[in-house]
Amino acid sequence: MDSTDKTSKLGTRMMPYLAILQHDMRALWASRLVRLWLAATAVLTLMLALANWSQFQNAPLIASLLFPYLVFPWFFVVVVLGVGPVSGSRAEALADGILSRPVSRCGYLIAAWFARVVLVWSVYLVVVVPVIALVTLAKRPVPEDTVTVYGIATALFVGGLVLTFLVSLGFLMGTLLRKPLLAVVVLIFVWYPISLILSVFSLEEFSPISLCQALPTQLRQPWREVEGSVKVNTNKLDMNAFSSLSNFFSVLSPTKPQPKAAKPDFFESKKFANFSLLRVTLGYGLPTLIAVVLATLSFYWRDL
Amino acid sequence: MATQPGTGEKPKMKLAIRTEHLTKIYSQRLIAVNDMNLEVPQGSVFGLLGPNGAGKTTMLRLLLGLQRPTAGRAEVFGKSCGPNAVGVRSQIGYLPTNPRLPGNLRPIEYLDLLGKLSRLPRQVRKPRISALLRAVGLLGATDQRIQTFSTGMCTRLGLAASLVGDPPLLLWDEPTAGLDPTARRFTLDLIRELGKTKTVVVATHILSDIDQICDHLGVMHEGRMIFTGSMQDMKKRLRRDGFSLELEGDADNIRLLANEVNNLEGIDAHPGAGQALLVRIANERGRSRALAEVLKLIDASNLSLQAVHSGQNATENAYLQLLQEEEAHGFHR
Repeated sequence: MDSTDKTSKLGTRMMPYLAILQHDMRALWASRLVRLWLAATAVLTLMLALANWSQFQNAPLIASLLFPYLVFPWFFVVVVLGVGPVSGSRAEALADGILSRPVSRCGYLIAAWFARVVLVWSVYLVVVVPVIALVTLAKRPVPEDTVTVYGIATALFVGGLVLTFLVSLGFLMGTLLRKPLLAVVVLIFVWYPISLILSVFSLEEFSPISLCQALPTQLRQPWREVEGSVKVNTNKLDMNAFSSLSNFFSVLSPTKPQPKAAKPDFFESKKFANFSLLRVTLGYGLPTLIAVVLATLSFYWRDL
Repeated sequence: MATQPGTGEKPKMKLAIRTEHLTKIYSQRLIAVNDMNLEVPQGSVFGLLGPNGAGKTTMLRLLLGLQRPTAGRAEVFGKSCGPNAVGVRSQIGYLPTNPRLPGNLRPIEYLDLLGKLSRLPRQVRKPRISALLRAVGLLGATDQRIQTFSTGMCTRLGLAASLVGDPPLLLWDEPTAGLDPTARRFTLDLIRELGKTKTVVVATHILSDIDQICDHLGVMHEGRMIFTGSMQDMKKRLRRDGFSLELEGDADNIRLLANEVNNLEGIDAHPGAGQALLVRIANERGRSRALAEVLKLIDASNLSLQAVHSGQNATENAYLQLLQEEEAHGFHR
């Protein structure tokens, strides 16, 4: 069998799943929620960039642009998008329309999950990347900052990773609880105090607020570090920038300005200088994987 | 067909559907399908008949793998049914009751999506879609979104959707529900036509549909299959053959006539609703001779005959009789 035959067989095999992906993406793009989110996120990102244009250096300004995705308020939209595909009345229509066809349940679920992940990443990147480019290329009245391309790419990756995890969490809850509204409420109650929950298990490193605080450091990381020249440029300006940003969102967000801890906390001990991309990738990647697998298993055993 | 106990050897036939002790219990509370053994021969038009809530839709969903059986098993063309049984579903075209369709799509987009789900290459998919749209009379509505469609148009699109993959087995759940007489006629004709080349299972509670299109029949009641067999077998189950004679004349004369008819051997008669005389003929008597004797008596009376009906509806009577028997002997079963 030559490679063309193999490719065409694979293409035929994947045809239903690509069709579901395409159909779901199209339906999502046409939805009012996604259009409103796109508009709102564009407005908020521009507002943040303009408000801090002459105050923050490149790294804290870029980190501030990612704050709404990592902490508040966009987690809510992302969770709602994740909850949708196999819960509520949609599940019945789905059974009649798609799952009564020669499509496996697991295949359908993965395709629907992937469509949501692609959509969330697209909205996120479409808005954030041009603004980051503007921030880094423009001449601004602030001290020069050494943000690297690698740093920007990894910061964007971390943001996307958190969003992917949130989609998957929504997906799992939607599948388990079947009622979209209930799933969203449960997720809000889980995600709202996540920093507190993680700190109980000494996993502050993975909390979205911690990631946001560690991003300016990561943004200045070069692709390859020259031995002896590694100087993590964590200055007080970054911390001040983050603190003012937190205050900006404190009206709406659960995050409050860092309270004084009795023991030296994560940031006071400057552990975030040791931000590990691998640890964060595993810390979010594995739970994402587990959520998708659990959602698939739950959906497989369920009657439609 | 049902595995009838004590009937001896069965002729070997190729089966489209076979279930063994198939049982579905919801949440340990509701028995939707109860220990069902069913065999549907290939190439038959099989009517799945039963009152609302008898378990017909659950049965179809079990075959599609949309639901998991609590016990027993189901096979379609020899392959086991289940949630990931893609091979089974590729052989089935399913039409749900009042199909819910994606309103934001147009008919061609919808059928194209389903064609892709059936892994049809573009060169097969595109011509088939246009042929199906023509066949179900929706060619003029291809630029409309599905959300603007009437119930009848949705059902016709659902019919086309079930045929996109050209499957050898069609499971249609109440295909005539909510249709006007023209659309109903069209659907029944289509089933008859498709029955020449495919196995068609039609779940319905409309007896006249079954009467017109099916050659085999299964009657469900409270999750049990209480009868399976050919349409002839079903009609033979009627205890007695009967006629309804529509007369014109005085009610007293009809009563007198009924008394005279009752004097004939093996014939039982009584006045019916309006000006009808219901006549039942015992099994041992020939129908034509008995009817001739009754007609002679009418001729001799002051009544005139308007019409003769051969029973109200043989299938309906047999069906109602089956349900009554099932309710009377349900415990013993």
